[in-house]
Amino acid sequence: MAEMIDCGDALLQLSAFLDGELTDEKRAAIDDHLQRCAPCDGARHFEGELRVVIQDRCREEVPDDLRQRILAAIANEAK
Amino acid sequence: MADQASFADAATPYMGQLLAYARLHYGQVVEPEDLVQETYLNAYRAYGSFEEGTNLRAWLFRILTNNYKNALRTKSRRPVKFEPTIDDDEIEDHYFMTHTTPEDVALDQMTHDMVRGAVQLLPDSFREAVLLKDVEDFSYGEISDILEVPLGTVMSRIHRGRKLLQKTLYEYALQEGLIATPA
Repeated sequence: MAEMIDCGDALLQLSAFLDGELTDEKRAAIDDHLQRCAPCDGARHFEGELRVVIQDRCREEVPDDLRQRILAAIANEAK
Repeated sequence: MADQASFADAATPYMGQLLAYARLHYGQVVEPEDLVQETYLNAYRAYGSFEEGTNLRAWLFRILTNNYKNALRTKSRRPVKFEPTIDDDEIEDHYFMTHTTPEDVALDQMTHDMVRGAVQLLPDSFREAVLLKDVEDFSYGEISDILEVPLGTVMSRIHRGRKLLQKTLYEYALQEGLIATPA
């Protein structure tokens, strides 16, 4: 049976939980708490969505000309 | 020994990630496209020594990081060596959740400028840790390898960087009216 933890513990470990860096045991304990606690689960979802937004706004497409330039430079090296 | 003929297929999928990271982290100092091009050339030349099946993405980021350090040297600049002396002990974890509730935040209305501006405000060592974790989704261990700093240092920088980032984003969100009932 998973260890019972409180909201303080859950929030403290939330980041590591979302990072996938907890042991299986700890992850199970947090997961268990989140299933039983709506406010903490809300925080988990918010943090997850915030990460998605940060990722999306920070990403970029490679301009075609850069891609071509790099591929050409590599091809040139191969000669 | 990896085969150079397969390099382009294997490595070009990561070009966007390297470019995004270079622009946000190094863009004020060096031309990010040049840095990425140089990285691909270096990687191609060294590909024979790359162990196929191991972490190509992290390897490319390692080369990018080293190229940046070299670029700094040619500009007679040094990478930052010391941890930022920011008094962030008072800044709460999960800043948004400490100051408001999920329902009151229009997250999807956060603009590119807001997020990128907040990221660029971070001290260098925090910014690189947060970018590698939250944008590039490397593990703590991979980040430790890429940056060549201990795991504990990586975790501390990610933690402190995220706190600062959330605080800045919260303040921007407040200014832009994205928070319904501020605390």
